Amino acid sequence: MDELLYVGKSAPRKDGPVKASGEAQYTVDITLPGMLCCKILRSHLPHARILRIDTSRAERLPGVKAVVTAKDSLKIKHGFVETPRYPADQYPIAVDRVRYVGEEVAGVAAIDEATAEEALGLIDVEYEELPAIFDVEEAMKLDAPEIHPSHPKVKEPYKNIGGKTETSWGDVEKAFSESHLVREDRYVSQLRTHAYMEPQVTVASYDYSGKLNVWTSGMGVFLKRAKLARTLGLPFGRVRVLKSYVGGAFGGKVDLFSHEYIASLLSMKCRKPVKAVYTREEVFKFARHGQPLIMYIKTGVARDGTILAQKIRTINDSGGYRGSGVVVIFLSWGYGMLTYRIPNLVYEGYSVYTNNTLHCPQRGHGAPQMRFALESQMDMIAEELGIDPIEIRLRNARKPGEILPNGDPLKNYGLIECIEEAAKACDFKSKYGKSRREQDKDQQKGSHIKRGIGIGLSSYMGGSLIYPNSSSVIVKLNDDATVSLITGALDLGQGPETILCQIVAEEMGVPMEDIQVFAADTETTTQDIGSWISGLTYVTGNAAKLAAENAMKKLLDVAAEELDADAKDLEAKNKEIFVKRSPERKISYADAVAASIAKRDGDTIIGEGHYRTVKDVPTHPSLATTKGRWSDNYASDAQIAEVEVDTETGMVKVVKATMAHDCGFPINPQLVEGQIDGQISMAQGHALCEEVLVKDGHIINPSFLEYKIPCALDMVENEQIHVITEKYQKGRHYDTKEVGEGHVSGILAAIANAVYDATGVRVNELPIYPHKILEGLEKKK
Amino acid sequence: MNRTKQYIRLRVNGEEREVAVSPNRTLLEVLREDLLLFGTKEACDDGACGVCTVLVDGKPMRSCLLLAVRMEGKEITTIEGIAQAGALHPIQQAFIDQGAIQCGFCTPGMILTAKALLDEKPEPSKHEIRRAISGNLCRCTGYNKIVDAIGSVAALAKGGR
Repeated sequence: MDELLYVGKSAPRKDGPVKASGEAQYTVDITLPGMLCCKILRSHLPHARILRIDTSRAERLPGVKAVVTAKDSLKIKHGFVETPRYPADQYPIAVDRVRYVGEEVAGVAAIDEATAEEALGLIDVEYEELPAIFDVEEAMKLDAPEIHPSHPKVKEPYKNIGGKTETSWGDVEKAFSESHLVREDRYVSQLRTHAYMEPQVTVASYDYSGKLNVWTSGMGVFLKRAKLARTLGLPFGRVRVLKSYVGGAFGGKVDLFSHEYIASLLSMKCRKPVKAVYTREEVFKFARHGQPLIMYIKTGVARDGTILAQKIRTINDSGGYRGSGVVVIFLSWGYGMLTYRIPNLVYEGYSVYTNNTLHCPQRGHGAPQMRFALESQMDMIAEELGIDPIEIRLRNARKPGEILPNGDPLKNYGLIECIEEAAKACDFKSKYGKSRREQDKDQQKGSHIKRGIGIGLSSYMGGSLIYPNSSSVIVKLNDDATVSLITGALDLGQGPETILCQIVAEEMGVPMEDIQVFAADTETTTQDIGSWISGLTYVTGNAAKLAAENAMKKLLDVAAEELDADAKDLEAKNKEIFVKRSPERKISYADAVAASIAKRDGDTIIGEGHYRTVKDVPTHPSLATTKGRWSDNYASDAQIAEVEVDTETGMVKVVKATMAHDCGFPINPQLVEGQIDGQISMAQGHALCEEVLVKDGHIINPSFLEYKIPCALDMVENEQIHVITEKYQKGRHYDTKEVGEGHVSGILAAIANAVYDATGVRVNELPIYPHKILEGLEKKK
Repeated sequence: MNRTKQYIRLRVNGEEREVAVSPNRTLLEVLREDLLLFGTKEACDDGACGVCTVLVDGKPMRSCLLLAVRMEGKEITTIEGIAQAGALHPIQQAFIDQGAIQCGFCTPGMILTAKALLDEKPEPSKHEIRRAISGNLCRCTGYNKIVDAIGSVAALAKGGR
């Protein structure tokens, strides 16, 4: 097999130099001539009817160039999900009703920020306040105020149901009755947020040719274009979403946001560029946060720990509109069934409207929440049965070759190897339970620091069918044999531009520095699946591979003519093409390109490649029933946390993380390590300190001073073990898996399990604040 | 609001600059809006995240908390000012080589904080590095590669002696 020159190597990021130098232009840095400042008037009430809006005084304020309300809009709804079952439910600018604090009511474009702010104060809105509800389980009750009518297909006597996922197989009740042990627990994953460093920001510029140009801090330009065009009533060709660097997203910048719509509408109204920038306070108060989840888990096991049955009920608070609520209750099923074999299952998930602010995907989207619950309970079951946490997991973990309940094959799946490698690397078995066994000894020594170890597993899909479903890539050879790589992929920091470059370099035998990437412009680049659902390296990567192969085939055809040889006898290396058996007969790539221009139809060499995930099915699986194929490949991991808990203060310090993960084949090991590091950090915050606090629909800790994310002193050193289950071969399709979001989950569960191991205190509601540990210790006394 | 502008002279990246500023404007605003130095980013506007860090007389300071009128006569260094003669500063290069950059939004402030540390203490321990950057938030990298990058420059300094 050929030695790989670029793929599998820790090539430095393509965008490293411009980011290190400060030259990289983020949306917030874009400044256009005559640009106006946009400010948005938002509802201060959690639930109200809008009776009247008077913008006349604001419009008369000198310096105000445009004011928009719903009457300037086409009143077209949009939604994270837009399907016949789940039609769009949110106006991009409120029409007659507001359903959460912060809902957009009007927008102003003015010559500066102060004028725009002043104008907001001059807009007169008359509301009729409606009863509001904030607790998700209360919102389901029949006597709760109605935020939206319950979904017509949901028959249970509940109110405010935005959507339901239900599925089952086997005979759960029979299996429970035959179980040696049945446990039932309730878990809560809190409201938390992405904390991307670059706030939400959009620049919209509608010009006199009738074209809307938009730069926005997003996660993929094609979805933004589609939703903007539809809600604004413009053809796709008149909405251009262009690349700017994105300062982090983690799920929080997918979907269409009202500020993007309002900035666009204002620009269309006054024909000036308009910029809308959130302050950090606005990000905390009004931007969408991750999905909170309540999980009821009932599990029956045999005496040896084999899972016999599971009954899972999840409840999601989607806020005032559906958002991704109906997706997270579907995904929670998926992240529940992927890791262990569950022969009998009943799953039901409800997404419920409340008058809280809106929620959206956050890295893992259901996986961290579910893995926290399921892995916590797995340890509790293991303890009751007297089985080691590693053994019970090995007994239940899925193996390669298994077919998942939805029909997806687990082609190669390194979960078992991950468990074994991780446990071995940190000597899990000898450490587990030690602290609790030796508690008396510690007390004699007077030590209040307890050490614990815990494991968590997870698994994650690699790309699924969500608009735009597929990716295309074009590679152009230039006259001098440098390459222009054209992709719609948007780099949020995770590194697709670098990865795609490595793949093209490998396939074409062109050094990475000779490849320029042109990315993420709806007008001039190719459609791309988007930087979410963890499919970019797999889907766009395969498209890049095919594009490079396509260009090379054309190049070799020309070379064959020039060298009077058969294309299959040629070999390409170092930008030259040789006849294999007589290497003195050769032609440079540049000469081959020149020959193509001179002697063929004048065509320079251009290769194209297209790839779609889950090719053999027409559409994504049913969010309602879970039926249908989901993904082509599944990553997996086993993650171990070691913690120290101070039993006097309740403070938890994560001291070591061991991360064994199967991401298929690491195209760029350094980028893989960076993804894993980032996920550990995010999981530490999820486990221990992060929580968006809400009172009566108002967010009350809207700053980094009050919402603590891990800093450099909190970050744990970690050991990463790559379990390689795929091969990258030149000229062949590859099946690499995701690494960017699934690995935030196992380590979260592992921290919770390690805290229990250290203290004997089980915290079922995240985050594990010190006071919860102290209360638990008090109860044990 | 007192909108009377005040002239201030300061040195930015080695150049003498004179700007007229309202007394309520921050150094961050003046750097970005008046001097068009967009490398300095804003992420929180309340001093909590360190993203807007610049060097003021060599010390890392949050430019969102500094009033521009107080900068009279100060020497300001932004991310645009540390590459020399067309070559990136060794810390910038180390951030690239060690994979310490992902989205890059915290990178300018992080690099300047690292520069202040290394200027003062060329061979800091790992813990000293962590402590020095503990006021600079990063959500992408989990910090480990940033610590490695700064450590690699320190090691380089040690080797160079």
